[in-house]
Amino acid sequence: MVGGDVSEGTAPVVEIAGLGKRYGRTLALDGIDLSIGRNEVFALLGPNGAGKTTLIHILCTLLKPDTGTARIAGFDVSRQPLKARRQLGVVFQEPSLDSRLTVQENLNFHGLVHRVPFRLRRRRITEMLELVELTEWRHALVRTLSAGMKRRVEIARALIHDAAVVILDEPTVGLDAQSRERIWAYLGKLRRERELTLIVTTHYIDEVDSCDRVCIVDHGKILALDTPEALRARYGVEQVRITPRDLATRTGIMEQNPNAIAEASGDIVLPGATHGVVDRLLGGFGTGISNISIERPSLESVFLTLTGREIRDQAAERPTLARPNARTGEPVN
Amino acid sequence: MTDRTATDPAARTAAAEGDGRSFGALGALGGIWLREVKRALRDRGQLVGGVSRPLLYILIMGIGLNPYFRAEVYGEVRFVVPYSYLQFIFAGVVVLNVMYTSVQSAVSVIWDREFGFLREVLVAPVPRFVVVLGKVLGGATVATLHGCIVLLFAYFADVELMLGDIVAAIGLIFLLAFCLTSLGIAIAHQVRSFEGFGVFSNAVILPLFFTSSSVFPLDPSLSRTQLLVLYPEWLVTVIYANPLTYAVDALRGKLIGFNQFDPSAGPTILAILSVVFFYFALRGFRRG
Ligand SMILES: Nc1ncnc2c1ncn2[C@@H]1O[C@H](COP(=O)(O)OP(=O)(O)O)[C@@H](O)[C@H]1O
Ligand SMILES: [Mg+2]
Repeated sequence: MVGGDVSEGTAPVVEIAGLGKRYGRTLALDGIDLSIGRNEVFALLGPNGAGKTTLIHILCTLLKPDTGTARIAGFDVSRQPLKARRQLGVVFQEPSLDSRLTVQENLNFHGLVHRVPFRLRRRRITEMLELVELTEWRHALVRTLSAGMKRRVEIARALIHDAAVVILDEPTVGLDAQSRERIWAYLGKLRRERELTLIVTTHYIDEVDSCDRVCIVDHGKILALDTPEALRARYGVEQVRITPRDLATRTGIMEQNPNAIAEASGDIVLPGATHGVVDRLLGGFGTGISNISIERPSLESVFLTLTGREIRDQAAERPTLARPNARTGEPVN
Repeated sequence: MTDRTATDPAARTAAAEGDGRSFGALGALGGIWLREVKRALRDRGQLVGGVSRPLLYILIMGIGLNPYFRAEVYGEVRFVVPYSYLQFIFAGVVVLNVMYTSVQSAVSVIWDREFGFLREVLVAPVPRFVVVLGKVLGGATVATLHGCIVLLFAYFADVELMLGDIVAAIGLIFLLAFCLTSLGIAIAHQVRSFEGFGVFSNAVILPLFFTSSSVFPLDPSLSRTQLLVLYPEWLVTVIYANPLTYAVDALRGKLIGFNQFDPSAGPTILAILSVVFFYFALRGFRRG
């Protein structure tokens, strides 16, 4: 395991050991070991199909693991599911509101089944609706809300009771840039106001920079786990991005550099490049190149180093049926 | 890994909260119940059905067949049912309304699975037993209300109701509603699609209803042998085997004071079936 230890001083609130799950012939989780500390903001980053949701569903006691154990605040999710669930607030990847009830009724239902006493329930509903800026929509039927607003209701709902751990499975997927930003702003605000552990899965790399630790998963395995800075320093590489002017240049560069990666946009990315490489390329192809730049180590390049591909390509490659496109918010066809 | 339950603050809070558990479970039960009831009452189509269906049966079938019912002598056999057809069919119409609504409310199980709300319920710290009980009670409450809608038409069917009888009748209606909602939920777990469930409910509701001695009587003054002169044997067998027969009969006893069977047979059979169907509904839920 890579850097799996919890940052010093905080007791782990989530402990996962040797977790494995198989769907028929698909190995969704392949021996996951993890500890997540109290008050940590923990990002689970990986392309579609990496196994993030499977891991989340096991933590929520919705799914039984084939091997290994998971504990939430000391409670084993397989053997003490009720107690484990008490510690959890969850925002699922798929919508899970009752669209025929109002916003308030959905929140109240949640408070009731989580046994939040009446007064606290009423106060929390007001507070959380304020947090996600939906106070005026309190009595609206959920089916009249936009996708982004529904997502915010779900976030508010996960915070109605005192959860030790709040899990958000792709809270921003399918939303426009503005809604995504807002959601992260709420989470940041919440973190300053309340003590809680956040586990957020995403396949948007740009979102994980503000998290305490990032766990990169692919094919059900942990590839790396550390703070964003440490990941950058360790796996990040400067890379040269080349925009070829024509096909001949493109194939020429690709042939000369076996480690070059051709992006869907037409750009070519050369990992681990230096100024020397830039000079060589400009000398060799000169006018065939319309743009060339050196990029500082990004988390994207961390992912690239670890998996040999870009996470975005991966995300677009396997769109989920009838779900809005991750980047544009438009339905995929 | 050591068990940190004792030292863990969150675990300690949870343990302390455990004192109020019974009330907490009741609150959760109430929340689940309330949701079912609200959803159903907001469903206009269901309400329209709940009113128009009994009207149709009472107005068209009841009034239409009324004149044919009183034929005193039929060959050598005398009918001795001292009631009008409207009065006779009234209990059956109540049961029909309860059947439709109970089965309809089981659709919410499929709906929850389809639209994701099931997850919200399944990650709540509520035992599955409470979840299923809340759902069944919610569905049964709505179905009971729909049964009571029919009671409002009692005047037009010439049915006179005493207060004590009304209370007993509502009790029976609720028991029936509980039984049928449990059955509906148990089946909804098997079927899992709206279409499949539609097929099921059509294939089950009306046949059960028509073979429950709800629209025609088995004359109590006749022995079974004589009965067979009037009706083919298979039909008589089906009617005797249909548990709904006894439920309709018990209810009719309360509403117009006419029983073809032992009045305690209905409640007994309903209570037993309620437990059995509830068990299956719960098992379906546990399987996820
Ligand atoms: N119910 C299921 N049945 C069969 N395969 C599944 C099921 N759920 C997920 N998978 C497979 O398991 C792998 C991990 O999926 P998932 O956990 O949803 O990934 P992520 O959430 O990271 O996109 C994928 O290959 C997916 O196709
Ligand atoms: Mg997922």
